Amino acid sequence: MTSASASSRKALSKIATNRLQKELMEWQVNPPTGFKHKVTDNLQRWVIEVHGAPGTLYSNEVFQLQVDFPEHYPMEAPQVIFVPPAPLHPHIYSNGHICLDILYDSWSPAMTVSSVCISILSMLSSSPAKQRPADDERYVKNCRNGRSPKETRWWFHDDKV
Amino acid sequence: MGNKLGRRRQIVDEKYTKPQGLYQHKDVDHKKLRKLILDAKLAPCYPGDDDCSCDLEECPICFLYYPSLNRSRCCTKGICTECFLQMKTPNSTRPTQCPFCKTLNYAVEYRGVKSKEEKGQEQIEEQRVIEAKIRMRQQEILDEEERMIKRQEMSSSSGIIEPNETEYFSRAAASSSESEEIVSAPQPSGTEIRHSLRSRENRDDEFDLDPENIMLMEAIWLSYQEDNKHQHHNPNYGDAAQLAKYATEVRVLASMAPQSEMASASSSSSPSGGLACAIAALAERQQTGAESSTNYNNYGVNTSTYNIHPDHSSTGLSLNNHLQISRQEHESWGENVVEPETGYGYDHYEDVHRGGQYVQQDENIVPESFEEQMMLAMAVSLAEARARTSSSTPEVAWI
Repeated sequence: MTSASASSRKALSKIATNRLQKELMEWQVNPPTGFKHKVTDNLQRWVIEVHGAPGTLYSNEVFQLQVDFPEHYPMEAPQVIFVPPAPLHPHIYSNGHICLDILYDSWSPAMTVSSVCISILSMLSSSPAKQRPADDERYVKNCRNGRSPKETRWWFHDDKV
Repeated sequence: MGNKLGRRRQIVDEKYTKPQGLYQHKDVDHKKLRKLILDAKLAPCYPGDDDCSCDLEECPICFLYYPSLNRSRCCTKGICTECFLQMKTPNSTRPTQCPFCKTLNYAVEYRGVKSKEEKGQEQIEEQRVIEAKIRMRQQEILDEEERMIKRQEMSSSSGIIEPNETEYFSRAAASSSESEEIVSAPQPSGTEIRHSLRSRENRDDEFDLDPENIMLMEAIWLSYQEDNKHQHHNPNYGDAAQLAKYATEVRVLASMAPQSEMASASSSSSPSGGLACAIAALAERQQTGAESSTNYNNYGVNTSTYNIHPDHSSTGLSLNNHLQISRQEHESWGENVVEPETGYGYDHYEDVHRGGQYVQQDENIVPESFEEQMMLAMAVSLAEARARTSSSTPEVAWI
């Protein structure tokens, strides 16, 4: 039993459900540019299409984000990963895990799915080169048991990308 | 008891001094919380509303609506008391950060229900944001238009324009009309632009160059043709002056005279202003048969584009330039040409008087907009057409 599946298995709290319903409503009225929410009846897992921004390394590429919400969202951060194949990016591992501080230590309950998406697209857009992180192989091997990226102790060393 | 009511002296119902069950709070000191709420140091724990019914504020964390919220000291963002209690992570050694601006040692204060002043201030701010957004949008539209015009000019100045090319006029003259007339305008290279002029009926509000303007120019030319038949060396400048007088006043508004009046342009009021005068004078000049090409520079502004600065014909001219020209017109129409009382006209007119050799190249007022250039092209072509019809006059050297 991995913590990822455990956290997504526990039903959303009342307040989390309420907030996510409102976030979804707001998204439908005013979706962030470049993103498309794939409609499901599962409020606890959102699958979101990401379109690489025009004029960047990822223009005309489409990726999928999977967002799993914990019981105590938004007090706890959602788990956000790319569904492989993940974009080639110095901070994105080939298993789809994203090294981005706001998804972990710097999460704030004032953030929303929409604001997280914008941060991820911004991270993609500022990429200098299409390449995997240096420790990709090692990290992915360590995650073989399906570990959630939220379990990883991330080291946020690069504030440029 | 009364002393506990705090600064705002609002009486808080006992049941709102404890959490309403939004979260499963751990480690909450209920006694302390109650005191803080009664002292009005924290907002009462009202049950949050799902919808914004009346005068409620939305907590940005739980997205529920409350009559009043606490404010962070650092950035004055609102938060309901129950969400605030969640912010303190009991097991963390790190000081709590403000969830909104990340300032360390997050703290809130409670100022009660927002005062009318605060609400008014917020409304003003919102209004400003909306206005700024509108301005941004307008600027975007403007930029887009400018790009469009530039593209058009690029394509139009890039070489010979096909006969019957109606690119310019398709904007100004969007509808079909009763007649079609082809005029030509010489270019520096010696090639000719041919334009078919269509509508005289519809006017595109965006531009000063209208079918009516073109028609007016034609009318002026015709009228001068008429005039000159009779008084070859004594052209009727008065009409032109009169024309200009009315015209200059209203040209920017571009309110057009009825077409029937247009047909007798020399006696009608018209918005075409100084430019029309220039054209008239040009036609007249042509008629009186001065071949000196230098004179055409004097028609100023417009002609010079083609003659002196062929390269500039691709740069647009702004309405400002237009206006600037108009303003200059007032200064010295000229002792040489018209009685001063008229007070209107081109200062370039003085350069244009019969046999004038005086060349003035005012580079500051090189036409920028393509409408202006089209007016020019029209003027030139009309003059040239005139020259041709009078056949005895040799082709004018334009360069």
